[in-house]
Amino acid sequence: MADITMNLAKVYIMSVMHKPDDPLNLGSLPPVAPPDDGWPAIEAALAANNRKRRLLRMATGSLAAAATLVLALVLTLGRTVSPPEAAAPGLAQDNAPGGQATEVTPEPLRDPPVESLIAMSRQLETRVLAYRNEVGDLPSTDLVYQVELQDLIVQVDEQLSMNPDSLDLWSQRVSLLLDVSQLYENHLRRDYFRMASL
Amino acid sequence: MSGSPFDIELDEMTLARARRGDLRACETIYRSYTQPAFTVAFRICQCRETAQEVSQEAFITAFRKLKQFRGDAPFWGWLRRVVVNHAISAIRRNARHDGVRFEDYHASDDPAQESVGLAMDLESALAGLQPADRAVVWLHDVEGYNHKEIAELFGKTESFSKTRLSRAREKLRTLLEEGTARLAASR
Repeated sequence: MADITMNLAKVYIMSVMHKPDDPLNLGSLPPVAPPDDGWPAIEAALAANNRKRRLLRMATGSLAAAATLVLALVLTLGRTVSPPEAAAPGLAQDNAPGGQATEVTPEPLRDPPVESLIAMSRQLETRVLAYRNEVGDLPSTDLVYQVELQDLIVQVDEQLSMNPDSLDLWSQRVSLLLDVSQLYENHLRRDYFRMASL
Repeated sequence: MSGSPFDIELDEMTLARARRGDLRACETIYRSYTQPAFTVAFRICQCRETAQEVSQEAFITAFRKLKQFRGDAPFWGWLRRVVVNHAISAIRRNARHDGVRFEDYHASDDPAQESVGLAMDLESALAGLQPADRAVVWLHDVEGYNHKEIAELFGKTESFSKTRLSRAREKLRTLLEEGTARLAASR
């Protein structure tokens, strides 16, 4: 009985002698040491993350380059099929007798036709499908980037469903598909592994 | 000083280097805060393996998101929040509740041993709480979180935090008294 009284008294003393915010004095419990050094695992995860970021930066760089190429290609294509009068901006030959040159308002630079980007997108999709059939599943490390690119394509597709004639969105889609295609090509040539080990 | 075990000063240079992805700086930070991080994770989860996982995942998250730390509050507070968030996620995933075991830590008359015994009783009693109650009482009483902050961490209202705290303290008192009575009866 004396023991009980003694211990209850201790619990009571503990509860009244400490700060009101910690009435049971939980703060007196000692710190707990981790069972083992967690740093090697953390370091490995961070190093893998850094590699991934480098690869993504490279992928973004090639994406931007691909976008520029596509745009340049489409612009060139657009100019080649432009009507002849476009070759002499500002002036148009009047077919009327006398053949006087009359000044006309310059046309704004023609946007690349969305149709050509859509066609390119379809071609790339076919190519990616063919690669996929040939390569099968990519290794898990490559798969991460492929999935990320596919996610971005899905996002672009969602935006396209609301704005189907957006030149910018179709350009983005083509660029992303080019990157997916590049991923498979790199895999086939094993260049991707060399890149990943950088 | 806040009284939180996390309240450890970190020099700006190390923080800046870690922000740039310097792994040596990250290691310095890890070594400085691993014990308080593991302690809070363990106190909330009451499982060493889970606490180790929580602690590691929290450090990885913190280092990856270090650029998001604006520096308008102490770094330790930000890191602690990351750890606590991970710990709360862990108890949500795995709401285990082990039984309370009281052991005879009062066998010695040595005052130092008595003190250890009380701490062990307290530890056992803490382990006997429901995970959310334990998290709330630890965060409030030891880490100094207020009810609003705890409510935010759990995505609940302040009354949730107040109710849980009151219940947890009451349960702790009961468990401590029961443990003491059981010990006395076994003698």
